[in-house]
Amino acid sequence: MSMSVGIEAMNLFGASAYLDVMELARHRDLDKNRFENLLMKQKAVALPDEDPITFGVNAAKPIVDALTSEDKDRIELLITCSESGIDFGKSMSTYIHQYLGLNRNCRMFELKQACYSGTAGLQMAVGFILSQASPGAKALVIASDISRFVVTEGGDALTEDWSYFEPSAGAGAMALLVSDTPAVFSLDVGASGYYGYEVMDTCRPVPDSESGDADLSLMSYLDCCENSFLEYQRRVDGVNYADSFQYLSFHTPFGGMVKGAHRLMMRKIVKAKPSDIEQDFEARVKPGLAYCQRVGNIMGGTIFLSLASAIDNGDYSTPRRIGCFSYGSGCCSEFYSGVVTRDSQNAQSSLQIEKGLDRRYQLSVEEYEELFKGNHEVRFGTRNVELDHDLIPGVSETWKGTPRLLLNAINEYHREYSWVS
Amino acid sequence: MNKEEIFSVITQNAKEIVPDLDSHEFQWDDKLVDLGANSMDRADIVMMTLESMDMNIPLVEIAKASNIGELAALLHEKQ
Repeated sequence: MSMSVGIEAMNLFGASAYLDVMELARHRDLDKNRFENLLMKQKAVALPDEDPITFGVNAAKPIVDALTSEDKDRIELLITCSESGIDFGKSMSTYIHQYLGLNRNCRMFELKQACYSGTAGLQMAVGFILSQASPGAKALVIASDISRFVVTEGGDALTEDWSYFEPSAGAGAMALLVSDTPAVFSLDVGASGYYGYEVMDTCRPVPDSESGDADLSLMSYLDCCENSFLEYQRRVDGVNYADSFQYLSFHTPFGGMVKGAHRLMMRKIVKAKPSDIEQDFEARVKPGLAYCQRVGNIMGGTIFLSLASAIDNGDYSTPRRIGCFSYGSGCCSEFYSGVVTRDSQNAQSSLQIEKGLDRRYQLSVEEYEELFKGNHEVRFGTRNVELDHDLIPGVSETWKGTPRLLLNAINEYHREYSWVS
Repeated sequence: MNKEEIFSVITQNAKEIVPDLDSHEFQWDDKLVDLGANSMDRADIVMMTLESMDMNIPLVEIAKASNIGELAALLHEKQ
């Protein structure tokens, strides 16, 4: 029998504060009916004393704390997956390693491929475990991103739909412990369809901003959704899109896009009728959307946010297979799968992701705008700065008693953090 | 299909996806976005048109069409 591998534990950090995106849509005067079709509810917002490192540490901390010291010392690989890096050379994994107190005999590095980075990190970690080069070793994969919502100016390729990008852009981190004891998600080894090519759809061509062509990105996402599944089907015997997966998790820029992609797949691959497609969406896709609707797009971590949502909100009275579609602009994509049991669901629910989301501070639109107007943003390349932990009074009240890592200062480019409770 | 037939298929599909367009007089330089079709609607209209033309080409190849006439011309060229 081949060895098991997959996700032993998985956790979200969905920021300390969020914004109700309906309020933002009203404030920006976006069409209400159109906006409702996008299926967005809240977006997590990073405060100036939070960065992808604090997010990553805060996501991983409960997982690491639950390990015995022997198991903790078996974390021999730490990969950060991000398009929000804080340095061109130094990987965020070095800081995260420090603040989690991990074993120094550990490989550390960072990888990027837009929103595909999380899946890339997972698959590299899986390869490390399967290689048995260090039997019993574990890997920590942390996908952490903060949106840079200021659209780059100039150029006429930006479509008006880009104004719908701001409400969808979230902030957050997913931490995954990957090992040969996959208590939460047992990966179907070798069952992977990957598909990619060069396309200029969305990107971060300058440090603190994003740019893109929403139409092209959607088309590319849809092309990849179909072709990565077709490759999966070519590699795995007896697979069909309608029956082989009881749940589907998608990279979710926003819910409406996933609904469209699912509709395409059901119409084109399954030849399903519209009423059946709607029913199938409710049954197989919606459980995976719940958390995404409350956090927004967190780039590399979004596919795992959807996976965690499907695990927490699905029915696992018998073991279920979840199909996962990951897409990163530029582009690379992958369709893969794994099995979740009732025990997996129990293990996942112990991290109480939903409770964490409920505890966040709700920003008013005015507070949200002040964050970006008031010169509070810590820009890429900041050499020296001191952060104020009480910039928005009331935020720290929401997590009293549970220490949280925050950015105190940047001192000659070196980031200084501390646990604040 | 000739370009006029393709144009007609696109506009039929546009009416199905955006019912408000039922009585709209379509012009070759109409932009779907100006007619109230969001990016998901536009993708649906394109996909339905490809299906009725029995074409299977990457969507990214036709993403650059900026109005219905250009889309019809691109599809005509690639069919």
